[in-house]
Amino acid sequence: MRELINWIADPIRSFPIFTILFFLMLKHYRVVGTKKFAWIAFLLSIPTFFWFAADPNFFLIITTPDNIPISILIILITFLTWFALYQCAVNDARLEQGLTPMEGTPENREKVWTWPNLVYTELFAIIAGTVFLIVWAIIFKAPLEEPANPTWAPNPAKAPWYFLGLQEMLVYFDPWMAGVVLPGVIVVGLIAIPYIDTNPKGNGYYTFMERKMAMTFFLFGWLALWIYLIIVGTFLRGPNWTFYGPFEFWDLHKVVAAYNVNLSEFFWIKGLGRAMPKNLLLRESVGIILSLGYMFGLPPLIARTKWGMSIIEKTGKVRFYILIGLVLLMGSLPIKMFLRWLFSLKYIVALPEWELNL
Amino acid sequence: MSRKIEPGMAYDTSKLNKVFAFLSILLLITVFWVFLDDYLRPWKAVQIEALKIKREKIDGQLKAAEGAIDQQKMKDLEARLEKADEIIATRKKDIAVVNDEILSLNKLIKEETITSGQLNGDVAATTFDFESASAHGDMKHAEQVLPKLHDLKIKFVASKDRMKDYEARMKKEQKKLEDLNKEVIETENEIKKMTMSRDLLQKAKKTTDMNAIFVIRNSPMVDYLDPTLKIHQVVMENITDDRYFQQVAKVDRCTTCHTFIDQKGYEDQANPFKTHPKLDLMVGIDSPHPLKQYGCTTCHGGEGHRVNDFNAAEHRPQNEAQQKEWEAKYHWHPGHKVALPMMKLQHTESQCLKCHQGVEYIAQAPKLNEGRANIEKFGCNGCHKIEGWEHRRKPGPSLLKVAGKINKEFFKNWVWEPKSFNKHAKMPQFFMQSNNSKPEFVKKNIAEVNAIAEFIWSKSKDYQPFDRYRGGNAERGKNLIKEVGCMGCHGVEGYEEESKKVNAHAGPYLTGTGSKVDADWLVSWLKKPSHYQEDTIMPSFRLSDTEANDITSYLMSLKNKSFERLKFEPMNNEARDEILVDYLSAFDTEAGAKAKLAKMSDHERTMELGFRSVGKYGCYSCHNIDGFADRAPIGPELTKEGSKPISQFFFGIDHTIPHERDAWLKAHLVNPRRWDIGIDKLFKDLNRMPNFYMTEEEADSITLALLGQVSENIPMAGKKNLNQWEKMAADGLKTANKFNCIGCHKVDGFRGDILNMYEDINEGPPRLNDQGHRIQTDWFHYFLSNVYPIRPWLKVRMPSFNLSNEEKNSLVSYFQGISHVQTFEDNQSEVVWEPGERDAAKKLFNNLNCVSCHSTGFTNDPPSAPNLYQAKRRLRPAWIRKWLENPQAILEGTVMPSFWEGGESSEPDILGGDSQKQISALVKYIQEIGYDKLPNSK
Repeated sequence: MRELINWIADPIRSFPIFTILFFLMLKHYRVVGTKKFAWIAFLLSIPTFFWFAADPNFFLIITTPDNIPISILIILITFLTWFALYQCAVNDARLEQGLTPMEGTPENREKVWTWPNLVYTELFAIIAGTVFLIVWAIIFKAPLEEPANPTWAPNPAKAPWYFLGLQEMLVYFDPWMAGVVLPGVIVVGLIAIPYIDTNPKGNGYYTFMERKMAMTFFLFGWLALWIYLIIVGTFLRGPNWTFYGPFEFWDLHKVVAAYNVNLSEFFWIKGLGRAMPKNLLLRESVGIILSLGYMFGLPPLIARTKWGMSIIEKTGKVRFYILIGLVLLMGSLPIKMFLRWLFSLKYIVALPEWELNL
Repeated sequence: MSRKIEPGMAYDTSKLNKVFAFLSILLLITVFWVFLDDYLRPWKAVQIEALKIKREKIDGQLKAAEGAIDQQKMKDLEARLEKADEIIATRKKDIAVVNDEILSLNKLIKEETITSGQLNGDVAATTFDFESASAHGDMKHAEQVLPKLHDLKIKFVASKDRMKDYEARMKKEQKKLEDLNKEVIETENEIKKMTMSRDLLQKAKKTTDMNAIFVIRNSPMVDYLDPTLKIHQVVMENITDDRYFQQVAKVDRCTTCHTFIDQKGYEDQANPFKTHPKLDLMVGIDSPHPLKQYGCTTCHGGEGHRVNDFNAAEHRPQNEAQQKEWEAKYHWHPGHKVALPMMKLQHTESQCLKCHQGVEYIAQAPKLNEGRANIEKFGCNGCHKIEGWEHRRKPGPSLLKVAGKINKEFFKNWVWEPKSFNKHAKMPQFFMQSNNSKPEFVKKNIAEVNAIAEFIWSKSKDYQPFDRYRGGNAERGKNLIKEVGCMGCHGVEGYEEESKKVNAHAGPYLTGTGSKVDADWLVSWLKKPSHYQEDTIMPSFRLSDTEANDITSYLMSLKNKSFERLKFEPMNNEARDEILVDYLSAFDTEAGAKAKLAKMSDHERTMELGFRSVGKYGCYSCHNIDGFADRAPIGPELTKEGSKPISQFFFGIDHTIPHERDAWLKAHLVNPRRWDIGIDKLFKDLNRMPNFYMTEEEADSITLALLGQVSENIPMAGKKNLNQWEKMAADGLKTANKFNCIGCHKVDGFRGDILNMYEDINEGPPRLNDQGHRIQTDWFHYFLSNVYPIRPWLKVRMPSFNLSNEEKNSLVSYFQGISHVQTFEDNQSEVVWEPGERDAAKKLFNNLNCVSCHSTGFTNDPPSAPNLYQAKRRLRPAWIRKWLENPQAILEGTVMPSFWEGGESSEPDILGGDSQKQISALVKYIQEIGYDKLPNSK
């Protein structure tokens, strides 16, 4: 059983499974978003957790002082996601019946004083938070290490937990892409959301039905491409950034065979059976055409689909192209991950001469 | 649900208040908790314990001090004090008058102090006013201020004057008072003298009181009240810690818990309260390594700046038993990624090497010396570079003329398994090890050994012995071996007991010699070793033909029959070619390599494999082989082995060895091939470090020595810098070590291994105590290349070494450096006698009967002491003097009698019995009769 879980946990398998589960969850959010479902899941998770924790390797990895925030994060994210879906399910059921959402009922629309109702409770939260942090600091000593020694770097060398998603991306992308372009696009994309999303529905109340696309895109990016990667980076990446199952001992000497091949090499050598052209652009032409096609050819095609036309109709062309651009960039990550796992593809465009690899 | 909520409110206010109260109390509790957590440090408990121990100690001392006070005398003094008080009482009136006077003088002095202080300030301020005005050209203001300044100065001087007057009067009055109280003061002083140590101890005890003030000073948050429980630290300017990007002064806080480490009197306490066991060498204020300058972690290692608890300092247990004990007592566990944990106690000595470099031995570090001696014995430095060992010769004999010494069959069997010929062999074994005893590997190894033999024979120069063995008496030869001193360097079969006592390893253990070399070679070798090998350290013993033949006869009788019967398997050409293809295909395809091979003749192939194999196994690292002079030694450098990160040690799949540097080193030394076990390797990739079959103790001691090879960067000022004398002695010892002089001579108590063999120490080679002071330098330099018998009654011989002038000079300066003496000491060309002194000297010479032992040239008796006629050129007059005064002080156990024991002369009639004059006269006499010419010189 443990071997099976170790085997499944490898991103090659766990990422598709996670993605499928994610879409199933959204599809059946009315089932997931019930208290009954939550209770059953909660009750099932307790023995499961204890069974997991009984394994010394798993216990060690979740109780490492560095990793405790991630354990807390998993619990909080799970609860908050369920809670949002639960509220959505309730409201969507009411909306279908022609009622107002819960937030719109008269007793919930009643206004109360900011003081003390808000400010006082905020103060409670501040105090409780302070107490929590102090107690945490006393019980778990700061995981400080020896002064940095350039000849004896830590292995694995891990980024702070909130950057582990980015570090995981480095497995699939060149640093300029995973470390500069993609994070930049994430920030720009988040800033752009209010300007792109002009849908007035869902203001002040939870709903899934009325904002299906926005919620799906956002939650996929958030849960699958960020939280999932942080969890993988924290718990499942050991020395040399090699994958280790949750029950696996972090053997420093573990070796995983990985030899990756560029798209151009696939095309010229394996496909056409001839030497690579000397001209760099010609050599990489397939990758360049594919990349350009992906970024600039796909959007006009999508614009002609029914879905695309409906968005253009609702928001206008500029918003549509920006949205599609961002979504395609986001999509490039899982696409590259799949290509890597399926074909050991190294780079789609490999121009190390120009330090430009895609 | 009835909610009594006001309009505009979501919650019940009183409920909110309750929540707030609860949270506030929770916060308060956590704040207290955090302060308490910060305040309660494990080291404070240790200091309180130390305080108690100190108090107990003081109590004990107090009791002793109290006991030391003579009670009877005390009573007498007290009675005297009472009487004195009575006497003083009669002078009550006078005393009162004086006291009044003192009081009023006190008032005047105080008043004058104020006046003078104010005037002083005024003068200074006005001076500035005046000077700045005149400097800026404001002459008008300057002129205005000047009279005021003069006035103030006059007043100031007057005030000072009055003060002097008052002080003089005060002194007078105080003297008067003292005189009036004289009897009391005197008695009181006497009492004080008796009780002084008790009073001081009482004061000391007070500092250990745990009273209210102690509690207040040590309360949390009031660190500005100078707490008594505090971290103690030593900051070392001259020793630094490597913080990777910069060197910072080392800080040791070990004394926070090891409270009494530098104080005498706590030797009986348990750790951490124990006194350092070697206080006179380490830590002690008078020792060469005081705590303030060298701290603790300089030698012990560990995290000296960390104090929190036992684990913080990265203590390391000596063994498993201690580890278990610590785990139970302190929850001990090794820290995460600690670059320099504490040395295990048994390895501490290794760290001496950090600062004491450029020397062969460190007097106070016997374990380290043993380790370094073992490195030399096994010749680790042949294959592994170690900085500071460059001057040493290759550990193995030269193979430049080996074909003239032994036969090929012997060579091959020897290389295959040296111990099968000589169980004391230092040559390690490369073959039939745990990683290469598979049949396919053995087959290839045999091919390699055959090829090496052919290659070396082809490179070997011709050698013909210059002498012939003419037969001899083995029994006499055996005796000679022991008598002349062969055993200072060689263990010898037939003398197992003696060999064990001497434990010599400069030369090979002589066993089975008859199965190894032929008799002609041996005779020639014994008579003139440099004929076969120019740079040998084997000396000539100036053996006569008979002697050389006798020794040869004995050595040739030592046979190893079972070894002689060994037949080495012949070369397997297939295996040879297979290995060669492997070599040749390093930069070529297999087909290409085979093509290259096909072009080579059979002989060329064997030579090629021989050449490659000598390089592969590093034979040239220990032996001189033609064509390999420029090759670097084969092994990795060990200069910084003690600092090599543990992650760079390859433990293979061996889980029995703890992941510690010392454990790896020891395991590696005991069986170097163990790391290959269970690993699938090709023939060419097998680990090649040979097996020395050393004992655990030997491996332990070498491990210790290697742990000292650290890369730490100690600033010049922190290191031991040899002074002029020490440098001379250290350099000279290198030569003395090379030729194993110290195998026979005990130099100021150091080594002299062969002396262990003699029951009477005077039968062995002379001990060289304060030798630099004893001998004349020019004589010594001459003697080293023109050895002649000084003590003809000794059977052991000083051999004639093949020394270069540089080596002779370094030996000269070796003794000079030890004794701190000038290069030359004057001999008087003509002895100047006091009147009557010469006759006295002659009389003394006769009465003391010097010639009964120093008979050479005086009588025909066999001498049992050196020739006095030759003393002049050989000995320094100052030393002869010292020697006559007390020979036992220089050479304990010498047969030379002490005629002036304790400065008393045994001849009271000569020169008035003045021992100094008598000795002077004798020294002069020896100078006068001495030959100017050196023996054997032209």
